[in-house]
Amino acid sequence: MIPKRWKMYFNMYWIRLAIILAIILVLILAVWGLMSLESFYRNITLATMPINLIMVALNATIFVFMYMMFMQGGLAKISKSKIKGELVNVKWNDVIGMEEAKREAWEVVQLIKDRARVKKIGGKILRGILMLGPPGCGKTYMAKAIATEAAVPFLSMSGSEFVEIFVGVGASRVRRLFKKARELAYGYGGCIVFIDELDAIARKRVFSVFGGTEETNSTQNQLLAEMDGLHEKDENVIVIGATNAPEDNLDKALLRPGRFDRKLYIDRPNLDEREKIFQFYFDKVKYDKSSVDIKRLARKAVYKTPAEIENIVKESALIAARDNKESIEFKHISEAIERIEMGLKHRRHMTPHEKEMTAYHESGHLVVLYLLHPTEDVFKASIIGRKESLGVVHHQPREEMFTKSRESLLADVKVSLAGYVAEKMKFGTTSSGVSMDFKMAMATAHAMVWSLGMNDAGLVGDYTSIPETQLSEKLKQTLNDETGKIFTRCLKDVDELLTEERVILDRFVKELLAKEELDYDEIDAIFKEYGKFGMQAV
Amino acid sequence: MNIGGAGFRLQLTALLIAAIAGCGPTYPKNKFEGSIVNVCKKEYKADVKVEAIGKTVAIYLPLRDLIDFNFSITKSASEKINDVILSVSRVALSSDAEFDFYVIIAHDVLIPEIQIVIIKSVDDVKRFLLNDISRSEYSKRMLIDIRMSPQAQKERSIKEIFERMVLDKKTQEQVLNDFFRSEPAALGDIGYWNNHFYIKDISLAEFIAEQIANRVRTEFREEKGLSDIFMLKSSKCHYLSKKGKAYFRMEIAADPRSLAQTKDAVYQNKVFGEGMSVSAAVTHNYRFSGFEYVEIIDVVDGKSVEVSGDDLELFRRKKLKLEEIVK
Repeated sequence: MIPKRWKMYFNMYWIRLAIILAIILVLILAVWGLMSLESFYRNITLATMPINLIMVALNATIFVFMYMMFMQGGLAKISKSKIKGELVNVKWNDVIGMEEAKREAWEVVQLIKDRARVKKIGGKILRGILMLGPPGCGKTYMAKAIATEAAVPFLSMSGSEFVEIFVGVGASRVRRLFKKARELAYGYGGCIVFIDELDAIARKRVFSVFGGTEETNSTQNQLLAEMDGLHEKDENVIVIGATNAPEDNLDKALLRPGRFDRKLYIDRPNLDEREKIFQFYFDKVKYDKSSVDIKRLARKAVYKTPAEIENIVKESALIAARDNKESIEFKHISEAIERIEMGLKHRRHMTPHEKEMTAYHESGHLVVLYLLHPTEDVFKASIIGRKESLGVVHHQPREEMFTKSRESLLADVKVSLAGYVAEKMKFGTTSSGVSMDFKMAMATAHAMVWSLGMNDAGLVGDYTSIPETQLSEKLKQTLNDETGKIFTRCLKDVDELLTEERVILDRFVKELLAKEELDYDEIDAIFKEYGKFGMQAV
Repeated sequence: MNIGGAGFRLQLTALLIAAIAGCGPTYPKNKFEGSIVNVCKKEYKADVKVEAIGKTVAIYLPLRDLIDFNFSITKSASEKINDVILSVSRVALSSDAEFDFYVIIAHDVLIPEIQIVIIKSVDDVKRFLLNDISRSEYSKRMLIDIRMSPQAQKERSIKEIFERMVLDKKTQEQVLNDFFRSEPAALGDIGYWNNHFYIKDISLAEFIAEQIANRVRTEFREEKGLSDIFMLKSSKCHYLSKKGKAYFRMEIAADPRSLAQTKDAVYQNKVFGEGMSVSAAVTHNYRFSGFEYVEIIDVVDGKSVEVSGDDLELFRRKKLKLEEIVK
């Protein structure tokens, strides 16, 4: 009996085999013909054969080039139309920092492996898995790990590779992809088709009143048809789609049971997971274990994705190499985070007065942030220009927070207004540097009153969801008054705080003018010097 | 699976097989003569006889209707001769036997005294098949002669004497073999008579000499500028040696059709010019440098000119004018 793999290869490559056999036959006939020639004519034929072969190859190349240029829209198509078939090798233990998703994915692996058993019981066979989540969280990596663990081939294509200006090209690529997947599934007992950036072809379809259709429509229709078609063929082909787009943006037809009926949310890692990820990437580089505290780093890297953490480690290695160091030290990591978060330093020439004003502005932010904010930690204060700003107080949440309290929002407003108050307190006037702060403070205060019911007038509800014309002038007046109240109250609180802590404010101004930049440790030390502790510490 | 690589490997294998298959000659040296006989017999049903001497091979082709009552070659004879030429060319080209020339002697079995002798250079055939020379040039390089068999003429005269002497057949044959049957001295003596080949090992020099004479004849017959003024009586060319110097001696006997016309300066030296042009072209075509000079004799005027090999080449390249050579 012919093994299944042989049959699979025959099904996959029968055209190639036929061509090779035809070539062999033609060559045999050619040699036979040559041998029947008299030696003089045979020698002439053999002598001219190399140049003939070169000419044929040249002609074929020119033909293919012209064809691709004029008929198919350029040589770029060649690489685009290729489908990669590869047996990936990502071990399950290599997948770190997504424990929750891993647990769900493991179930998927079992379903792929025990397909026959599930069928026997009468259970639902898994057809498609949709991976959702922010970019850089390891969706592709997880898909590869599933393929490795289930020991099946893995075909990968990006959704954008299906998108073409010509209607039908994308659909034909989908057909080819699934044809190949079915062939591989026949030989290997299963195959995973991974479509990255699925939203490129899975957006809600547009149906034109004129009867026309968009290219993505036809591509998506083909994808739907292929996923349904799997039932008839009864081959173990599982489609894994990955997207950063919200689920609501995808076409409903794709999400119904029988298509992408299992959803995996691959979210940003939590504190423990971040620690493991840092450890994983630091194990690949040389680092100074005495200065690098991975737990602390994990705390600092709130909301960071695995890709961003990898980037921080790689950037640190580059900075360490630039400093001629043998291993990565904490300051390199700190610089790497700063570079990634805040951008490269861009020193501008400022007048002493402007520099002092900037120092007061940033110190205002710094003092209020440290003393009043319940959830954020100051990370760095600087009066060195970056991007468009002249200075910055970089802060970040102490831990993952998925909602914000009234107090936290009020603290945000106060921190934003602190720059203005500090400038006015010292110079009796203010600068245009407050524009972005005001914009943020106003937006927060407005949202608190209009959308979140955080006002003293007892107006509860989201008034922005109602067209403004349907709101009474009185109501609008009341809402605006409440917004103003928040603003005024925050301004007063900040003013009182900074007046009270004027010594600390002036000290930070002095320090900033001297050093231009202050790190968390230096800032913390100065506050402690004056017997002040942050909100959390309190 | 890399189909491009597989295809390349297959082609390479085929080329190797073909190269190995193409190594040996189709008609080996030791079977050369038999091969000509077989090919002629098998493919064209022509019974030929073959004899080789040195680097020349001769083929005798007996035919029933070689010439018609107009004394021209019949169509069927022409086709047969062409078939044999093709057969001999094929064998000569696909053999490791190193022959330079081949001679085809066609006889009419009813009038055996008349023969057609065709002489060809094997190299010319190769160059023609490789498109190195044109068809017209190829035709010009072939020597064709229809003539009475010189040996027949000779033997007929001798046999008349033998008849008068009343010698028996055996003695006649012995005397003929001993004294009158020998290798011909010139290309014009080549032939076949009475079951004997009269052939010689042709050298390139004498082949060139004969070709020069032949071409001059053709030019004077076909070139209107010459045939209008001259009537060629004879054209001969020999490769000779004098005082250790090899040279070509051309004798051109061309009568002017009108005396008044030939007094014109334009027509003077025309014979020399033609002789030089033809000899320069032929020696250049064969890259032949084994001569010191060419002596051209205008038999009618009794004038002659000697042109060195170098001047001949300059004349061919139009770097030297006729007037500068013939003063």
